[in-house]
Amino acid sequence: MALCEAEKTFVLHGVEENFRIDGREREDYRPMELETNIVSHAFGSARLRLANTDVLVAVKIEVDVPYPERPREGKLEFFVDCSANATPDFEGRGGEDLAVEISNSLAGAYRSPEVFDLTKLCILKGRKCWKIFVDILLLECGGNLYDAVSIAVKAALWDTRIPLVKSVTVDGNNIDMEVSEELHDCQKLDVTGAPIMVTVCKIGEQCIVDPSAAEELCSVGALVISVSRNKFSTILQTGSGSLHPQTLLECLQTGHKVAQRLHDALIETLVDIKPSENSVGFLR
Amino acid sequence: MPQKIHIRLAAHRVNASVAVNRRVPKIFTPGQVITEQNEFMRGHGTYEEEGFLKSSVAGVKEQVNNLISIRPLKSRYNGEVGDVVVGRITEVQQKRWKVDTNSRLDSVLLLSSVNLPGGELRRRSAEDEHMMRQYLQEGDLISAEVQSVFSDGSLSLHTRSLKYGKLSQGVLIKVFPSLIKRSKTHFHNLYVGASIILGNNGFIWIYPTVTNSEDGVGGFVQNLEEVVSRPERETIARLRNCILALTQSKMMLFDTSILYAFEESQKYSVPELLVPEAMVDVAILTQDRLSMAENS
Amino acid sequence: MPIDHKRINGPEITIPYQLFDKLNTKSGKSQFKDFVKSNGVRIDGRSANDHRKIFLKTGVVSQAKGSAYIELDKTKVIVSVFNPREIPNKSEYSSKGEIYCEFKYAPFSCHKRRLHQQDPEELQYSAIMKQALESAVSRHEFPNFQVDIYALVLHNDGAALSAAITVAGVALAHAGIPMYDLITSVTLAVQGEFVLVDPNLEEERLCQVPLFKDEQNTNHGIVVLSMLATHEQVSQFYQTGNLAMDNLTSAIETLTNAAKDIVVLVKKCLVRHVIKSARNVED
Repeated sequence: MALCEAEKTFVLHGVEENFRIDGREREDYRPMELETNIVSHAFGSARLRLANTDVLVAVKIEVDVPYPERPREGKLEFFVDCSANATPDFEGRGGEDLAVEISNSLAGAYRSPEVFDLTKLCILKGRKCWKIFVDILLLECGGNLYDAVSIAVKAALWDTRIPLVKSVTVDGNNIDMEVSEELHDCQKLDVTGAPIMVTVCKIGEQCIVDPSAAEELCSVGALVISVSRNKFSTILQTGSGSLHPQTLLECLQTGHKVAQRLHDALIETLVDIKPSENSVGFLR
Repeated sequence: MPQKIHIRLAAHRVNASVAVNRRVPKIFTPGQVITEQNEFMRGHGTYEEEGFLKSSVAGVKEQVNNLISIRPLKSRYNGEVGDVVVGRITEVQQKRWKVDTNSRLDSVLLLSSVNLPGGELRRRSAEDEHMMRQYLQEGDLISAEVQSVFSDGSLSLHTRSLKYGKLSQGVLIKVFPSLIKRSKTHFHNLYVGASIILGNNGFIWIYPTVTNSEDGVGGFVQNLEEVVSRPERETIARLRNCILALTQSKMMLFDTSILYAFEESQKYSVPELLVPEAMVDVAILTQDRLSMAENS
Repeated sequence: MPIDHKRINGPEITIPYQLFDKLNTKSGKSQFKDFVKSNGVRIDGRSANDHRKIFLKTGVVSQAKGSAYIELDKTKVIVSVFNPREIPNKSEYSSKGEIYCEFKYAPFSCHKRRLHQQDPEELQYSAIMKQALESAVSRHEFPNFQVDIYALVLHNDGAALSAAITVAGVALAHAGIPMYDLITSVTLAVQGEFVLVDPNLEEERLCQVPLFKDEQNTNHGIVVLSMLATHEQVSQFYQTGNLAMDNLTSAIETLTNAAKDIVVLVKKCLVRHVIKSARNVED
């Protein structure tokens, strides 16, 4: 998709006027739709739809050996799959760069122990731990991927239940684990600190959040700001442009503020989930 | 003050359907027998096999005298001569532009079928060929009319009228071509303060109404300096969101339906119209008004 | 992670011996105290705001169009820049030139042996480098062409990424690629109250986790910032860890100032190169 100069001008003036082409203000989000627990083979899953962006996240848990340098910690890994279903550009190795960028930024955002406590995943120091695989599947790409992915990941981790280990017995080199067979006997993860990413897009002299595809084309650069409990966990600059240090600070402030609102909105929705509700799944 | 951020659960999704209890037409699926082939003619979306006329697409039957065709529910644009289209230039070639018009193949706009600055009767010189990118370049939007249809289905366009030409500031919306109702005119200056081009190909262009039509050159001018005023911008954004609301509920788009939707949407602010409930509400109210107008 | 089977990668389960070192039995906090005294003086005698001594040299790789070498004390990085060439398997005309960056740790450059193929961290650093350099290069001057930049870290003693970005800027200038501005990059490590400019490897490692939890100060993290000197533009910004807003505000100020200080050095290095080559012509 390309835009002509006149369309770009229209978008640009709208951003300056604080009235974007769909009527939103600079700090407004488009409505999103979320569903959790939709993949039955996963320990937790979520699907988020933000305009034309569609993300499916599934969490798998397996038993692993901790890293020798961090014997008291479990493992958390992110894999992003840019399915060719999303756009034909992703065919073959086309989506690999984007996938690496997203999974790395997620790994960076979740790295600090303040954000996500990996020690909770340790079963036996240096010997056994849980490894959480977070698989992110991009079903449709309509811009603003980072935000959508981070919300979906947080929702999926919220939905995740770790089996309860009843007892661990060590006999020489053999380790026996007894996992509770009761379905409802499981732990929930603490995800209050899980970061929310906000893409702050610079258009003209102003910064906007949640850019539509047309707005993304008008912007020279963006900052992906991930915020966890009021603090920044990762900041990444994307696009080919550069920013004045003052603008950088303004972008950070905007991102910080919006991430807080986004977090509150998400938690409000997640608390609202009732297990009895019938699932919608992929039917539309 | 920024809007509240809406994250809704899928279980609370609203049903976007506004269909009134009408008879549902029979829908044929590919391979399904339509009729025994003897006196009927084979139209689009059908094929003959073992003496039967069968459907090759999923859609509804359309019959004109002996000609049977199946119109798919969702398809790319099939152009017809005289259609008004909105398209985007994808390529500049020798003596022609390639235009994306949402049809299967890119359409062409020949250099000889545009009005160049300097009057209709101007000869096209070699310089004009070199200047082509200055008139229209990749990414530019145009409104045009279908001049002819080639045998492979691709379209030849022309802009030999002052109403056609390059588009300036505004917003483009893409909808299914089948939602655009054919009518006498596809250019509307709506009284609410904006104009709209309903391209037959499903591309809709909303732009501020131009009061003084001094650009009598076939419209190769874009005004990049002019800042569209706030009220006009609000009207355009409201129209855009209303059209998307109607589209989501699969309602036909024409000047009356759009205006009704615009009027019914007044109880919502423009950004509120992005919320699914509001969109369905507007669509239902519009549907009601349309059927009332139909019955009276 | 695919592994190149043509090379001997060594058994996967090997671990560096340092893990068994005595140092590791100490808590992170006391390790940090070893490296940084409470008055902010670091183990190598620098104060918190001091950058390490920089050595810069151009023209170290004779086959490349441009190359440069940097030393930040023990951190050593070589960057070579190759002639613009047509973008391989491009789909359509691009009016701006492309930049291709490859950031690589030499297998022996870190504690743990690095594999020959790029791992996710190196891939990400490549992307960050590319992002940083894109706004410094006048890309419209070589449409449809691609400039290849290879950065090889010979020894990683912290701040390898910013060293690579700074030296890549020098190498680009040495190669005669048209550029808008000189680019310099600085890393900063935060741990509680301590803000360390240009951290070494141990400082970088210790700032990955909060060590002063008991003092209610959980700020920690790494910030990398690249500046275009004369335009006063931040061309790249990258942060990990857990930092509060006011931390970042002061970090950005510290970093922009530190980045400005390096520009003088970069200029000097480039001027020296020009004078030297002029002399060679005269002879």
